[in-house]
Amino acid sequence: MEAQALFLQTGGSLIAILALYFVARALKLGGKPRLGDEAQVRACAGEVEEGFDAQRVSIARDGAAALASDADGRIMVIKRHGNRFAGRILTRSATVREEVDAIVVDAGEARFGAVRLSIDDPAYWADAINRL
Amino acid sequence: MPDFSPTVYAVPLFVIAVLAEMVWSRLKRPEAYEPMDTLVSLAFGLGSTVAGALFGGLAAYVFIEAYQYRLFDFGPNANSKWWTVWWAWPLAFVLDDLKYYWVHRAGHRIRWMWAAHVNHHSSQHYNLSTALRQTWTGSFTFGLLFAVPLVLLGFHPAMLAIVAGFNLIYQFWIHTEAINRMPRWFEAVMNTPSHHRVHHATNPRYLDRNYAGVFIIWDKLFGTFEAERDDEKIRYGIVKQLGSFNLLWSVFHEWIGMLRDIWRSPWRHKLSYLIREPGWSHDGSRETSDMIRERWQERTGGEAISVAPRNPIESPGQAA
Repeated sequence: MEAQALFLQTGGSLIAILALYFVARALKLGGKPRLGDEAQVRACAGEVEEGFDAQRVSIARDGAAALASDADGRIMVIKRHGNRFAGRILTRSATVREEVDAIVVDAGEARFGAVRLSIDDPAYWADAINRL
Repeated sequence: MPDFSPTVYAVPLFVIAVLAEMVWSRLKRPEAYEPMDTLVSLAFGLGSTVAGALFGGLAAYVFIEAYQYRLFDFGPNANSKWWTVWWAWPLAFVLDDLKYYWVHRAGHRIRWMWAAHVNHHSSQHYNLSTALRQTWTGSFTFGLLFAVPLVLLGFHPAMLAIVAGFNLIYQFWIHTEAINRMPRWFEAVMNTPSHHRVHHATNPRYLDRNYAGVFIIWDKLFGTFEAERDDEKIRYGIVKQLGSFNLLWSVFHEWIGMLRDIWRSPWRHKLSYLIREPGWSHDGSRETSDMIRERWQERTGGEAISVAPRNPIESPGQAA
């Protein structure tokens, strides 16, 4: 393909891509789902990690994230990603920072990002994560 | 020699079809699209085109060289123009689709190939924009070698490129949840939205199934077919969801992970991180799709998990 044709095609495609993105926004596609109850978190945790059986669950007050632990002491952080959810089982490389009414959990993956959870029992989770 | 690229002409149709599906989504299932996810998928498509233009020359060189050593000249005589041999076209299409099945299967079972192909699967959504989520790094795998036998048989590289273009166009429309099932005869022979939803699923039952491009018969023939079940909702993406819309991370994350594993592993295991299946680890610390499925079967007996809706979090009637 000649360079000029490639530039034209690329430019046209770029315009079409941005147009489709703004159409999706204008149509209000997507949305922001909330984690409403423990059953939802358990279902979500079981999908992040096959067979993960959450025993203790804390849901962020805004419903955008949650922490769950299983009988083996594994801890999972779940966050809203777009209009889906994604999660990670925390390892020793995870860090946690306590705030007044919340904790910030970093799974140790830069691109996954730190997850801030405003929860009722931040000290419990901070302690549990620090003991991993 | 005809100079024709069917995918170039199909791009406007792709745009119109995505727009139409967005309208359907607005009316029926707003959660089927996520603007940022769509933006990333479409950027993948654009980048893939650019990468193909930049790096596709190697494949063209290999094929044209291989064609010099072809076993047969199709047509009534050796001087026949390859594009005038009518029967070679459908034959090339079918054999190219068989080739696609195997290169696609390798794309899921060999980590080197998966590093390039994972891009197509890293969206947690399944819509027409997902179809355009094509790799940028396919030229850095050995996928092109799968086509060499066809060239050596006597199929001209340009003919194979054209039928592969039509193959790709066919696969566009099956990336949708807007279509439930096609007529039974069609589902039996052709790859369909239903069959391909299974392929994009991360449910243990569905992992590494339905590699077909156009004809689903290859999966039935080679033992990798799994029918979509109505009692088990599908969740899409990859086993370890990215959790990021960063385009460059989405493109290169598996390459980075693979090279990191090779770097850190003992010498005797380095090659295995390149050629064994995704999820394999020398210390057993990770799981392959076979291991996940086996563990799931042990836990559930292989029965459907009743409520794993496509978006596991949504409640009935609630936009997710």
